[in-house]
Amino acid sequence: MNKINKEKFTALSFFLSPMLLMVVLFYLIPLIMTVYISFTQMRNWNVERYLKDFVGLYNYERLFYMFQHDPTFKAVLLTTIVFVGITLIINVFGGLALALATFFISEKPASSFRLLWLLPRMSPIAVYSLVWYYFFHGSEIGTLNSILMKLGVISQPIPWGQTVPWGAWSIIIFVNGLVGVSFGMIVFTSALNQIPRELVIAARVDGASAWEISRKILIPLTKWHFLYVLTWQFLSLLTTYPHIFLLVQWDLVNRDYGTTLALYVFNTAFGRGEQDQGLAAAAAVILSIIGVIGGFVTLKVLQFEKMMKRPRGDF
Amino acid sequence: MKAKAVWLVAILLLGVIASGCIGGEKETATQTAGKVQLTGDFTKDVVAIGKVLEQNGISEVKFSAWGSGDPNSVMRVYGIVEAARRINKIWEENGIKVKIVITDTHYVASFQDAYKEYLSKQPLGQAGDFFVNSYAFLPTLADEGYILDITDYANAYKSVIDDFYPSLIEASKYKGRLYGLPQDTEARPLYVRKDVAAKIGLDVNTLPEKVKSGEFTWSDVYYWAKKAKESGAAEWGLIHRKGSAHPDLIQFIFAFGGKLYDPNTGKLVVDVPAVYKWLYVEWKFAQDGLLPKDIMSWDWAKQIHPTIVEGKTLFDIGGTWYWTEWQTKQYYHGRGLKPEEVKEWFAYTLFPAGEKGDKPVTLSQPFIWMINSKAGAQNPKYDELKDVYHMLAFLMIIKASDPDINAIHSVISAHLPVRKEAAKLIKDEKWLNDLKNLNLDLDPTVKDNIKNIVQATVNPINAQFLADVSYMLEYTHLAPAHPKYPALADIFKEAVDKVLRGEMTPEDAVNYIIQKVNADPELKENVEIQGEIPKNWKFPQ
Repeated sequence: MNKINKEKFTALSFFLSPMLLMVVLFYLIPLIMTVYISFTQMRNWNVERYLKDFVGLYNYERLFYMFQHDPTFKAVLLTTIVFVGITLIINVFGGLALALATFFISEKPASSFRLLWLLPRMSPIAVYSLVWYYFFHGSEIGTLNSILMKLGVISQPIPWGQTVPWGAWSIIIFVNGLVGVSFGMIVFTSALNQIPRELVIAARVDGASAWEISRKILIPLTKWHFLYVLTWQFLSLLTTYPHIFLLVQWDLVNRDYGTTLALYVFNTAFGRGEQDQGLAAAAAVILSIIGVIGGFVTLKVLQFEKMMKRPRGDF
Repeated sequence: MKAKAVWLVAILLLGVIASGCIGGEKETATQTAGKVQLTGDFTKDVVAIGKVLEQNGISEVKFSAWGSGDPNSVMRVYGIVEAARRINKIWEENGIKVKIVITDTHYVASFQDAYKEYLSKQPLGQAGDFFVNSYAFLPTLADEGYILDITDYANAYKSVIDDFYPSLIEASKYKGRLYGLPQDTEARPLYVRKDVAAKIGLDVNTLPEKVKSGEFTWSDVYYWAKKAKESGAAEWGLIHRKGSAHPDLIQFIFAFGGKLYDPNTGKLVVDVPAVYKWLYVEWKFAQDGLLPKDIMSWDWAKQIHPTIVEGKTLFDIGGTWYWTEWQTKQYYHGRGLKPEEVKEWFAYTLFPAGEKGDKPVTLSQPFIWMINSKAGAQNPKYDELKDVYHMLAFLMIIKASDPDINAIHSVISAHLPVRKEAAKLIKDEKWLNDLKNLNLDLDPTVKDNIKNIVQATVNPINAQFLADVSYMLEYTHLAPAHPKYPALADIFKEAVDKVLRGEMTPEDAVNYIIQKVNADPELKENVEIQGEIPKNWKFPQ
């Protein structure tokens, strides 16, 4: 190893090691452990007993058997597709719309407005879910029903969450959409603030409207961020379940049409009095694979390689 | 460059693995502890253990108590605090300078959450030393080695063990070994609203006897419920509990002569005829508007309890603990009921037989004091003195089962006593009066924590209620303590919900249950489907 290389190696190790350590500790090791546990009989957190209890593909076979034979599994799949699809659109385009809207108004009201949209994300999950539990409750104690009944719009309370499939879907999409939209809003806001002001000012001088500025200047310049928010939100929606878990647990929404794949595997592995970590790990691996494929497709569709092209000029 | 990167990663990995190993070595234990044998003489045993601890230079023994349940059942943890005080007193009187300190009394509302927390923390040594929870979890905890086998210790205390009701001791066993002591139990009566009954001419005075003899069946419940609804005496005929956590509704299976468990095969059973009849009754009640179709999504505090206490239903399938819960919670127009009101408004019977020829039933879910298999681990010289700490923990649950501690818990939480001695005590008026005034020899922390509950609940009416419902234990059934039972109960709950909402007919729902059971290979292996849907079965008869 010559001297320059050695120096480069030392410098590289110094700067990279914290990040590498993080990646190994928090990504690589858990990944390897998850895959390993999925091949064991691990349950009830009894590591001592089951860590070496190797069962091969048993957990995967059990899971696929359930997928095939469970009468509610079709509803779960359909719910996942609808939930991820619609919530993703709301999160990404809602976030973009909010960022654009606040871009064109003065900073002070814009900040308060953005803060308002952050509330769902900042509230504890149980508290936030409880608010919507009482809002959408299917009897007269539900806020929405009570308002509509007082206004004389309806005479009998409507069991919103139990109206399948769209009632249940609407609630889980609404609740999660409100939480997720702030993420896109923040990313897009910071992206818009990076765009040189002179571009907007020049366009304004040329007589461009807010819509034209958005369409021709702002949106094309936030393509990177769009890709990031889309991919990130897709993956998190695919694996999220805490809010939905509570809404289903409290019987606010129909169990079959309120359960996504992530919640289904959580319930199968943990929700029925048993703590089946082997099965949960297998399910996590399957979800990860779906996530990887989904992420890959998103990047392909949005032509990620094109954006990754080396910039022209000297480098 | 690639090779270097690989090296870098390898070194990092090695570092991580090495850091995991450092400090992982166990101290080698030196066997210096004196041997203690339990004799069955409580004071003598406590003194002997105290002396061993003292000889080993230990002046303080730390334990923690974990419990869960309704707000009135806090004695599930404070019983341990009181037991510690009583043992400390014995040590003090005998000049032993050792003290038990209860470092943590962890009490949560949901017993399932408490169980999950215990499961995840026990292997890490972070779970409570004492754990009170449903007998249903005992087999899993025992099987995983998470709780202490106390069979050998208990042999010395046969006289105490024999004072417990035998069925409850059986519920504390796993594969013939004893893993805990019963803490409480309950029955689930059918409550009848007296004023509504009077309006429609239902005689509630003779009702308990008629139910007991099997003369009054679910067809009669239907008949009167319908009459109450149609005459406008009540908005509903029947209200029942929801969820699969408290498996109340499986009483129907037993009431229709079915079973849930086959002791010969050790498997759970889906008794198709009984399950069908259960679902049919639910379906019929809901279809005829006697039971809310959406009861499974009703809110406990805003709908279920207010509907019952405000007299909007004739019947209610509840639990004995409702009796005091109605007094301490503000369910009735923003206030709690007075004991006199509860007595005046509600009659109670066993859960009636399904049809003529069947027997009335009730259901219990005993709670058990269990000892962590790592109990005492937070104390010095644990490896040497493990047995001594475990024996002390055992003596603590023996003490926490003192008749008066058990009786206090029963009276203030409306659970049934688990010992005959405690059952006698709750009928003792002088003792009740002393409890009412907290004029008992109790730890100040315990007194402080139960003061308000005592004020609201200790009353001759409540004690009389407990005495009156005790006979129900003779008719009691337990849900199977099988690791797969919660999964099956969950499926039952889904089926009931679908039937009530009219999404499925009883036949469809039975097939749905079978399909769901068969969808999971492990559940399928553990559940036997027995019998067929009865043809030409009619309800009401």
